[in-house]
Amino acid sequence: MRLLAFTAACAATVISAGTALAGPVLDDIKSSDSLICLVNPNSPGFSVPDSQGVFQGFNTDFCRMAAAAILGDAEKADIRGIGFSDSMKTLVARGAHMASRSITATGTRDADAGMVFVATTFYDGQGFMVPTSLNVNSATELGGATVCAEDGSTTLLNIADWFGDRNISYRVENIADKTARLEAFFSGKCDVYASDVSALNSDRLLAENPDDFKILPEVISAEPLTLVTQPDQELEAAVFWAFQVMLNADMFGITSENVDSIVADLDSQPKSVRRLFAEDSATADMAAKLGLPQDWAYQVIKQVGAYSQVFDRHLGKGTPFNVDRLATQNAPSGKGGLMYAFPIR
Amino acid sequence: MTRASTMARSLFATPLAAFLTVASGVFMAWLGWHALSWLVLQAIWPWQPAELCAKRSGLCWPFVIEKARLILFGTYPFDQQWRALAASLLLMALAVLTGFQMIGRTRLRPVTFFAVWIAGLAVAVVMLGGGVPGLRPVPSVFWNGLPILLFLAIASIAGAFPVGVLLALARDRDSYPVIRNLATIYIETARGVPMLTVIFVGVFVLPLTLPPGTSVAPVSAVLVALIFFHGAYFAEDLRGGLQSLPQGQRDAAKALGLGYWRSVGLVLLPQAITRSLPSLLNSIIGAYKDTSLVVVVGIHDLVSTARMSFNDPDWRSHALEAYALVGIWFFLSCAFLSAIGRRLHAQREKDPLQAS
Repeated sequence: MRLLAFTAACAATVISAGTALAGPVLDDIKSSDSLICLVNPNSPGFSVPDSQGVFQGFNTDFCRMAAAAILGDAEKADIRGIGFSDSMKTLVARGAHMASRSITATGTRDADAGMVFVATTFYDGQGFMVPTSLNVNSATELGGATVCAEDGSTTLLNIADWFGDRNISYRVENIADKTARLEAFFSGKCDVYASDVSALNSDRLLAENPDDFKILPEVISAEPLTLVTQPDQELEAAVFWAFQVMLNADMFGITSENVDSIVADLDSQPKSVRRLFAEDSATADMAAKLGLPQDWAYQVIKQVGAYSQVFDRHLGKGTPFNVDRLATQNAPSGKGGLMYAFPIR
Repeated sequence: MTRASTMARSLFATPLAAFLTVASGVFMAWLGWHALSWLVLQAIWPWQPAELCAKRSGLCWPFVIEKARLILFGTYPFDQQWRALAASLLLMALAVLTGFQMIGRTRLRPVTFFAVWIAGLAVAVVMLGGGVPGLRPVPSVFWNGLPILLFLAIASIAGAFPVGVLLALARDRDSYPVIRNLATIYIETARGVPMLTVIFVGVFVLPLTLPPGTSVAPVSAVLVALIFFHGAYFAEDLRGGLQSLPQGQRDAAKALGLGYWRSVGLVLLPQAITRSLPSLLNSIIGAYKDTSLVVVVGIHDLVSTARMSFNDPDWRSHALEAYALVGIWFFLSCAFLSAIGRRLHAQREKDPLQAS
């Protein structure tokens, strides 16, 4: 009897190794040979169509990362721009495989069925921008100020919490359209402009003279902006570890430019680097179990790049946003940030 | 008295008139100067480098040229955009044909005209959506910009017309009381609700009424909502035409032994439609412009793609150019519709009874 069970187990192993049975969502991605990924249609630096109508930005690169890891080709990401609530519904209705659109991971959202938070790609928080002429150095000095913020957003709720806790009175100017809201702030119609710090940095540069405005040091909320997928353990693992490969690459100084020479000369590399790319090592093991292309880690780095490359390409110095990554929470954990690379082994 | 002196007299007849003349003259000059400065003096011409746009405040042609395709077709696959262009041209041709038919420049038989419409809309949808041999499928989330604006406007107006006819007949005085009251309640409700609400209901509530497991694309949901919304307005326009017909027309139709549908189809409706054309056209212009409101439910029509164009990190200070482009498009297309309207008015004044 035990022998029979053992034989059956062996047979099962052989079968599953042969077909590399993955979760239903991951299987769907592979059988349709395309990964549907939802992004914000209009978020400068994160996802916005270029002149050819192709979405470009920080968030879209994580769609491309998932496609490179699962299908071996970043171009197989079918990136669609949809509004926030629509994209959640589309995901729950199985109309898309994942969403990369600056969604803050929260407990209640995670408790909802139909979607899971997988990997935090950007740590943000809400802050305030004021004209330097206001002579304010801390948000606690903003008593009686008029705040410009987006109507109906969590921004307003956070402001209400923060000012309420400190008994600071304030007035809100609700302006739904972003261009109009910024214009109102720059022209002095409101004293304070509230938004996520990453957005504040780029919005400040839209002023005629950016030095007339400054960002206050207080960050009043935690906004871990996180990738979301349909529930499927194998898909979640593939996306999570693809992101970890990008963080590991930063730790070992691997980029899309030097990855070819590193892979060509794996024998002289440190063991941890060998584990990322060698054909008989950790990532290859994972590939067999999850049904990914055997060189998925190489494809992610080659086609999309390390995390720092993605960040700097879309948001860093040399872009209009000019964000110094190492000065934000998105620096590697070794340099005072929160980006902690999980071991791949 | 010369014309000039008459004009001078009427412009400066009283101190108040003189003041208003001078004030509006100064305002026009100020407006004209700014327009001239933006359009010509400070403009960056297509052959000049785009870097100049950051330094001067005028119209940035390099931006317009760089982003024209994005504004027109949005995220429609770049190598397939000829299909979006073809669909747009086809839809515009349908609109022009309808205008010409209204003012009698073309005289297609109603059946032919109807068939052209159905075929035109079907071909436009196939062009956009693909899925037939030779055209790869493009999901409706990628139908952005001009084609989706034209498709929603034209398909909703075309669909709303028959709905409007049926509602108008149901609310007519010859109708059964139960049907008449139901139609009245429906029309008054639809007209008493803002269109934004209707669009939200279409996208968020309509899908809930479908059996579980089926999903409906926002484009189709919005289209259905728009058809039933505009239908109520068209019904009231047509009812005006029906009620203005002399009772003798109905009596005559009955005396000829025509049943209800034949008397409606052959005698009453043709006259009623002719009589209500000007007010119908008014509703059509309103419906067309309101179509842009679908942007609130994430359908990227022309206004939305214009916003995408100036949210490109490299071109973030060119909102004015993008909105001006969209404004010019709406101005031209509405000008076409009102030109048709003016022709209809002129024809009716010449021949109030038999205008067509």
